[in-house]
Amino acid sequence: MTLKRHIRTAALAATLTAGALGASAQEKEPIRFGLCFDISKSYSFVSPQVAQAAQDLAMYTNDNGGIGGHPVEIIVRDHGNEPQRGVECYEQLKRDGVFIFYFLSTPVTNAVLPRAMKDQTILMQNFTGRGDAVDGSVFEWVFPIGPSYWQQAANAVSFVKGQLGGDLEGRKIGFIYLDYPFGQEPIEILRTLSKKEGFDLELYPVPLPGSDQSGAWSKIRRDKPDYVISWLLAGGHVVASREMRRNQFPIDRYITSNWLNEVDIVNIGLQEAKGLLRTTNVAGGQDVPIVQTMLETYYAKGKGSGPENLVRDVYYNTGLAILAPGLEAARIAIEKHGSPLTPESMKDGFESIVEFDANGLMAPLTVTAEDHGGGGKTRIEQWDGETWVPLTDWSADYLDVVWEVIKENSSKYE
Amino acid sequence: MFYRLSGVHHADYVSDSRIYKVPADRNLAVFILVIGLAAPFIIPSLYLNSYILPWLIWSAAALGLNLVTGWAGQLHLGYAAVMAVGAYSAIHAARFGVPWEFALIIGGLASSVIGSLFAFAALRVKGLYLALTTLAMQFVMDWVLTHSPAITGGSHASLQSPTLALLGQPITSDAGYYYVAFGWCLMVTIFMLNLKRSALGRALVAVREKDYAAAILGVNSFYYKILAFATSSFIAGVSGALLVAAFFFLAAPEQFSVAVSIQVLAMVIVGGLGSIIGTYFGVALILLVPGIVNGIFATTSANLGLQVDVETLAHMPNAVYGALIVIILLIEPLGLGKLYGNIRDYLMIWPFDQFRK
Repeated sequence: MTLKRHIRTAALAATLTAGALGASAQEKEPIRFGLCFDISKSYSFVSPQVAQAAQDLAMYTNDNGGIGGHPVEIIVRDHGNEPQRGVECYEQLKRDGVFIFYFLSTPVTNAVLPRAMKDQTILMQNFTGRGDAVDGSVFEWVFPIGPSYWQQAANAVSFVKGQLGGDLEGRKIGFIYLDYPFGQEPIEILRTLSKKEGFDLELYPVPLPGSDQSGAWSKIRRDKPDYVISWLLAGGHVVASREMRRNQFPIDRYITSNWLNEVDIVNIGLQEAKGLLRTTNVAGGQDVPIVQTMLETYYAKGKGSGPENLVRDVYYNTGLAILAPGLEAARIAIEKHGSPLTPESMKDGFESIVEFDANGLMAPLTVTAEDHGGGGKTRIEQWDGETWVPLTDWSADYLDVVWEVIKENSSKYE
Repeated sequence: MFYRLSGVHHADYVSDSRIYKVPADRNLAVFILVIGLAAPFIIPSLYLNSYILPWLIWSAAALGLNLVTGWAGQLHLGYAAVMAVGAYSAIHAARFGVPWEFALIIGGLASSVIGSLFAFAALRVKGLYLALTTLAMQFVMDWVLTHSPAITGGSHASLQSPTLALLGQPITSDAGYYYVAFGWCLMVTIFMLNLKRSALGRALVAVREKDYAAAILGVNSFYYKILAFATSSFIAGVSGALLVAAFFFLAAPEQFSVAVSIQVLAMVIVGGLGSIIGTYFGVALILLVPGIVNGIFATTSANLGLQVDVETLAHMPNAVYGALIVIILLIEPLGLGKLYGNIRDYLMIWPFDQFRK
């Protein structure tokens, strides 16, 4: 196992350092990623892990010769989830020569999107912002790599279909969600699918911040849905688990979006959470080769970019999965178009990513000029009391339905 | 010495009702106006479009809130909701093909109508009860926005604003956006400066101090309260519309959430209730200082080569910023405007004030 792991690590290092040509990473112009995050307000449950993962991955890349000899620089700033400060951060970093941005906040991403489109800078939009931005023919400069919430919900329905013997006719699926745009987003796709597959869709809105769910769960108890898909965040899952116990709803019929991490699991209770399902495009746990590499190379020596407990969190893996395609795109761009990296070559780099899975870290991505989402593949993982166990293979289902909704929405842009 | 006056003394009513009672103040205002007009040529575009532009638009908005809270004395915790009404009505009007000049007015009027509804609450309840009522209206508006895809633009709730055009001239440059914001802010400021010395302004102050005492004086507080809410809502509506048209280019419900309402109120309180120049200072402190302090911390720690982890780096500026507000309000509870006034009054007769003692 260890040998195999070392080989994998070496393979990843080779991917990241290809084209290094022995040049020192410090001589050339750095490739800069502007990460304007909400580290102090609403999203502070995820942004530190993502920022730390990005810094670790950049450090690892630089220690192995950078990308085509260019060092990678990660600039992290706080915008406190305020659109105004996000725009300020964007303009500031843009003046400093940064042209690759990531905001990890839907309101801020929305506020910056028109500017990025006009300035022709790369806007990474993984897991945030408008779902129809995967339509690369309209949103040329936006890259929401990874599954959109629409695709995640569709994949969850497809999983339920598989579990119920391939037929959803007459079945019942519940959808519990935070009653604001994040939670409401999948409703449209679920409605379309319920018509197509003939299952009953029951909606259970929960007011922000998700601490009062008793009404929703007593309705669930009455309705007896076969599965409940959940678009809640952080503490909302803990409340949901308590309500599930009280209303005798089995936790192994509860499917969450990708926003559920070890902290939530610990709060629910390691054993209590046993059986819980999660859609994800990132392999969870620490057995992933790149996470192992980080732990061995840096954290074992106390040289990581932050505390080690943040590494033992699936959002750390998510952070790696967010930055890795960016680095891969930069590598391809420099290989194809030479240095220095420009927004145009970076865009082409992104659009040339084929079957990239960062060595088992995430669902294989194939980005095209048409599909900026990379295919939207996810899988279902189950918590077994200790770690995440994958139940399915990476797949993206109901693509036609999802793309119909995407096209319909993106055509309304402008 | 600096002001060439020995104090402000009025000998007749005309001098008492002047906008600028001290010539030096007028000169300063003219100087700032000239700087404002020349700003696109002397200020780098980064500062122009990501600091000064939002500062001006928010100042105009905060002046509107100051009208209802500072002058008429009605606590208002739903101001962002009123701005949202203006923003969404104006954008929908513009998307429908209405010229922007009219779209902005439509936005303002729509806000006025909705904002006046707040006034009806104000007629029945006062003080903290009014604050809670307006807060409730903010939540109603939040709910309406997040549940009406027809208003907010689809399931991802973001509505693209058409290109701003005034007098048939499409506005796309940084300087263009700046002048629009500057023009609007100037209009609101001139209105507010004149409000101070008009019968309307005095009536509002009378209502603020004691509404039934005002009624005894013959001031119809019912009428003036509604007027205050309607006027301030109009300003809010146009400011909200401009904020989207010239700065965000896209409207989303989060831009007008309850947190924003509280922020605008903080701008007015930190700046000084009933103070125009204070409002400008207050907006600068609440809106711009967090970003600036953040930048300073990031640069300093990078230059000193400190290994500060991102969380500490994000929270330190917040602590500094919070401390700053507390310190300012401890030094001068009447806000930054009063602080400025104190300095001015001291310098007015300096150094001759020493002889008085």
